[in-house]
Order: sequence, then structure tokens, then C-alpha cells
Amino acid sequence: MSSLVGFLSLVFAIGINFYLFLSRYIFKFQKHKFNLFVRFSSLLTLLSFFSLMYAYVVSDFSNYNVFQNSHSNKPLIYKISGTWGNHEGSMLLWLSILSIFSFFFSFTKNIEESFQRLTLIIQSLLHILFGLFIVFTSNPFLVNSILVNEGLGLNPILQDPGLAVHPPILYGGYVGYSIVFSIAIAGLFQDRDDEWLYVAKKWSLISWTFLTGGIALGSYWAYYELGWGGWWFWDPVENISLMPWIAGLALVHSLMMVRGEQAIKKWIVFLSILCFSLSVFGTFLVRSGILTSVHSFAADASRGIFILLIFFIVTGFGFLVFLLKEPKKSNTLNLLFINKVSAIVINNILMIIATLTILLGTIYPIIIEVLYNKRISVGGPYFNATVIPIMIPGFLLMSIAPILSWQTNKIQNSKKYVIGFFILSIMVLIQSYFLDFNTWGFIGILLGFWIIFASIIAIFSSYKVKFTIKFFQIVNPHIAHIGVGIAIIGITCSSVFQNELDFNINEGDKFNVNGKTVLFEKIETTNQINFQALRAKFLFDIEKNQSKKIEAGKNYYPVSKMITSEAGILHQWNKDIYFILGDQKNDEWFVKVLINPFVSFIWLGVIIMMYSGLIAVTRR
Amino acid sequence: MKSSHFFRNLQIIILSCMFFCFKTFANENIDERVKSLTLELRCMTCQNQSIYDSDAEFSNDIKKIVKQKLQKGESDRDIKKFLVERYGEYILFRPLVNYNNIFLWSFPFILLIFGVFFILIKIKRKKV
Repeated sequence: MSSLVGFLSLVFAIGINFYLFLSRYIFKFQKHKFNLFVRFSSLLTLLSFFSLMYAYVVSDFSNYNVFQNSHSNKPLIYKISGTWGNHEGSMLLWLSILSIFSFFFSFTKNIEESFQRLTLIIQSLLHILFGLFIVFTSNPFLVNSILVNEGLGLNPILQDPGLAVHPPILYGGYVGYSIVFSIAIAGLFQDRDDEWLYVAKKWSLISWTFLTGGIALGSYWAYYELGWGGWWFWDPVENISLMPWIAGLALVHSLMMVRGEQAIKKWIVFLSILCFSLSVFGTFLVRSGILTSVHSFAADASRGIFILLIFFIVTGFGFLVFLLKEPKKSNTLNLLFINKVSAIVINNILMIIATLTILLGTIYPIIIEVLYNKRISVGGPYFNATVIPIMIPGFLLMSIAPILSWQTNKIQNSKKYVIGFFILSIMVLIQSYFLDFNTWGFIGILLGFWIIFASIIAIFSSYKVKFTIKFFQIVNPHIAHIGVGIAIIGITCSSVFQNELDFNINEGDKFNVNGKTVLFEKIETTNQINFQALRAKFLFDIEKNQSKKIEAGKNYYPVSKMITSEAGILHQWNKDIYFILGDQKNDEWFVKVLINPFVSFIWLGVIIMMYSGLIAVTRR
Repeated sequence: MKSSHFFRNLQIIILSCMFFCFKTFANENIDERVKSLTLELRCMTCQNQSIYDSDAEFSNDIKKIVKQKLQKGESDRDIKKFLVERYGEYILFRPLVNYNNIFLWSFPFILLIFGVFFILIKIKRKKV
């Protein structure tokens, strides 16, 4: 029953969007009615999504999709998240988020009516494309042809609270760029004033913040769930999410120029189209099954082709309009060495080079396989050797960029910065001789501290410190950059100065980690609702009264016959101590302990960046 | 002009830092060499994991082989060559610099050169 409701409301929503699209040419509406129809179609799409969720929650195995991906003994949260833990459901989630964005956009006040309508019509077109894709190739409402009492279960690796919320937030970013795309295209058709650039800025900031959150959740999940102590692997799926993120960052920075200089609209429109194209392209790569990863659910060639088609339509249409209708006003830029405009231009160029490099690295193995029928890998070492050096001048520039002037190339208080940088580099140099000296470690730590340091100097020397909302809005760019600096320190320390200790031990043994004694208490197996848990229990720092308990182990999921590893992590502000339980050999357990310094800084940095993303939305 | 001083100083500082960075690389022990080498190798039986990070049987075997070969005094290049002959180029996370991959390796730097030229041409040299 719920499947029927879901399917009908989905089809009806697509129908309304057809109607909205035609309304431009045939059935003309009044503004009020038009917006009502947009909202109605959004609500229908959401109804469709929630009826699928309902089928999951009540374990309605007459729905084929639920039968394939759910099991009645899962905890409720994973029944809900199971809705998007599969291809069909996640595409419906994609469409629902698209609708939510249209819904909220229809309430935008400070924008010309015809412009808003045109944007929403382009959104309708996207809704139709993805809606038809769902109906014809990935329908989540198919009826199960056999009568069953039990489902096949959800991939255990996805049964995790962090991953349950990861897809909706990540999609908030990907799909959020659809509205930026629509605004940009509408801007090409109706370029009357610069008002639409401010609207585009708000929406691109919102999407970027969502995307940041989604990526961070994904890598945090990889950190504690995949159990190898790292949080970024330059996995194709990670690269795919990083490309629109960097392009989006370039977009947000270009949109800043609207305030000072006359806008370089052409470039902004190009980036807007690029961001959404990269999002769709990423979806294609993941869903077509060309890349193997946790994210590629049952692959089906026809889906890949359909999404590739959508990708070509969206990108082709976008860039075609871009070429035919390029903005008329093009002022020359006031580029000096070095003012704010040239800093932003350099930053944009570097970011685009980084994006294209990641794109090439990600698809290169596919190209080589097609051309030479040979399999190669392009992994971390390639990206570390190309992307990071390209970004370094950008990071250097970033530390002072917010205080550069729009018009002239004078820097206030330049002496302070030079002296500051000099003292800082000597300090970092001295401390890095006490630790193991490492070139990348040195560069990363210096850059991170320099960005933080210069931003703080800039805040205190250029503005009066007041604790008002306005003050936080003004210093917001500096705050964002401090966040990046903190993240750079975290990234550098945790990857360069990671320490590994291996032990072969038995229950009751004591061993030494970082000068603290750890007791291996016991091994315990328990039965949970949907898995069996094997846990090694450790007591960290037993000499103290408040010794900390750490549990590391494995889970066995009988429904899907899979084993997942569960790392035990002791979080401290300056390091994570990461316990991994290996196999038992000759009555001894293999235990790996990783000491990851300053991992918490990465998450702190990301949270600061997201905070500034949100603050920037409130500012015109 | 104040700002040009600023950047000249900045350059000098960066260069001197770079100079300090090229300290010795020589005295690394075997375990660290195993680590840095196996971090660049793909575990063929896992999903997107390096041999160093993985505890699969395949990875443990390769770790042993690498260690033995390093102790025998073979260079990283020899070991990689041996592994490529056995398992194909797929095992290397760092693609070889050869005819097929020349575009892959040169692309970012070509872009960078274009970018630098673009900036140099566009930036005005007049004093304000």
C-alpha cells in the first residue's frame, strides 16, 4: 500500500513539473499559483520518500527494495537509514533534496519575480530528468513477486550512526549546487542587474557548508569504522566529493568579488555550472559501477548510461547556454601585485588546477583500461605529489589575503607580518629538530601556524574587538582561515607523525603505550540484536585511579556473513590512541596501537569552517 | 614601496626554510623503508587499502617479501619491478612515469605553467 502511494505521488510530482515547465510557453500562471504548484510538487516528492521510509520502518517485504536491503531485526535507526542505504532509495533521496531546495527557493523575497520563476523552471527540468531516471531504471517501489517473511539485510559496514546521516548531508551539498546551477543559467538568460549574484552567493555557501559536513562525516566514519587508523585515502569516491568542494570553494571566493570589484560574472557562471556538473558526474561514476567501493551498490549498466545521458544533458545545456549567452558587461579587472582581486584570481586558478588534477587522476585508470586494456592505480602518492604542492602557494597567500586592499597594493602593518613569520619559522624549525625532522611535517606545521598567526594579527590590528554580531560577520573570513590553519596542523601531524606499536599479548598481560601502562583485561563475546561482538577490553593508564576503558574488536553479522572491525579509540585533545584487535595466533592476540597526534584538530578546523560558512550566509 | 619589500623578505625566508629542509635522508632503518614502500602498494585482495594498512594474508606475505628483499640490499625500484612483473601495474598506487602515463604526470604542471603565464600577463605593473 505504502509503495503504491509512494509511486503515485512520485509520478504525480513529475507530472506537475512537466506542467510547470510548459507553463512558460503554453499555460501561463500567476506568480502566486506558480509558487504554490512548485511547493505542492515538492511535498509530493517528499511524500513519496517518506512512504518508502515507512515501508522500511514497518519492514514491508512486499516491496522488493525493502526485501533486498533490510531485515526485521535491525535497530530502528538503521531501518530508517536503510532507506538511502541502497541505490534506488538514495536516488529518491537525491530527488527529495532537490525538491526541498526548490521549495525554499520559492520563498526567496528579494529577487525579481520573472527571474525566480525561470530558476524554478530550470529546477523543474532537473526534477523531470532525475524523476524519469528513478521511474525507469531505479524504481524503489517495485512489488516483490514472491511472498517472504524476512529480508536480505543491510550491508553491515553501513550500520553506523555516522554513516546513517552522512548521505543526506552530503547530498545537501551535491544537490544544493543544482539551485546554484539554475540561478546561474537563469542569470545568463536574464542579466538585468547584479542582484542574482547575491542570491547565488547565499545558496552556494549553504551547499558548500553541507558538502563540508558530508565529507567530514564520511572521513570521520572511515577513521573509526574501517579500522586502519587513517581518515583519507584518495579513494575515487572521496576524490569525487572533493572536486565539487574545491570548485565550490573557488565559487564562494569569486562571489566575494561582487562586493569590491565589478563582478567577473562569466567566471562565476562557469564555476556554478562546473560545480553541479561535477556533482552529477560523481553520481554517474559511483552509480555506474565503474568504480568499486562501499558506495557502488548492485551495479547495472543501463543506469550508468542513463546517468551519463543526464550528465551530458546538464553539462551540455549548461555550457551551451554559457557560450551562446555570455554576460554583456565585462569590465577589466584591477589586478595588481598584490591586491585582493589578484589574490582571489590566483586562488581560483590554483583551485581549478587542483580540481582538474584530481579529476584526471580519478578517471585516468579508466582511460588506460579502455585504451590499452591494462589496469593501473592512481592513488595517494600521485595526489600527494601533485595536488599538495599546487595548493601550497594558495595556503601561503591565504594567511594575508583578507587584509589585502581591493584597490591598491599596499598592505597595512606589513612589518608585523614579516617579523611574525620570521619568529614563527625559527620556532617551528627548533621544535621540529627535537621531533623527527620531516620536510612535509615542517612545511605543514609552519603553514598552519602562519595562517592562524597572521589571521590573528589581522583581526587585532585592523578591527576594534567588540562582541557584537556585526564584528563576527566582519572578521568571518579570518575565522574561516584560522579553521583551515587548524585543520592543516591536524592533517600534517596525524599523517606525518603517526606512530605504530605492535603487540602479541594474552589476557592479563600489561604493555606500555607512550609511557603509560595498559592492561589487557579480557576477551569477551556477546550477542547483540543483529550481530555477535568480540571485544578485547583494555584499561589504559592503570597506575592512575581513573584509568580509561578501551574496547576494540570485531563484529560478525550473521545475516550477511560479514565481519567488520571496530577500533577502540581513546580521544585526547592532543592525540588519539587507536587500538585495533588482530587475529589470534598461538594463543596470543595481535594488537596494533596507533598514536595519531592532533587528529581532533582536523575535526575542530572543519567545524570552524562550517561555522563561518553559516555566518557568511547571514551577511550580504 | 612597502609591499614589494614584504614579498622579497617573504621569498628569502621561504627559500632559506627550503634549504634547511633538505637535511639528510640517509639513515632510515629497514622497518621505516618497509613502511614507506608498502604504503605505496595496493592490497590486491582488499578494497582500496594499502598493503601497509591492511592485515589481509596477501598483504602480510608481501610485507615479508619486501622486508627480505630490502635486507638483501635490493633497491626500492628493484622490488617494485619484481612486484609489477608478478601482479601488474595495478599494485602500484604511484603510477610509473612511462609513455602511457606521461600525460597524467605532466598535466598538472602544464596547467600550472599556463596559470602562471596568465597571471603574469594580466597583472599590471604600474605603481599605485
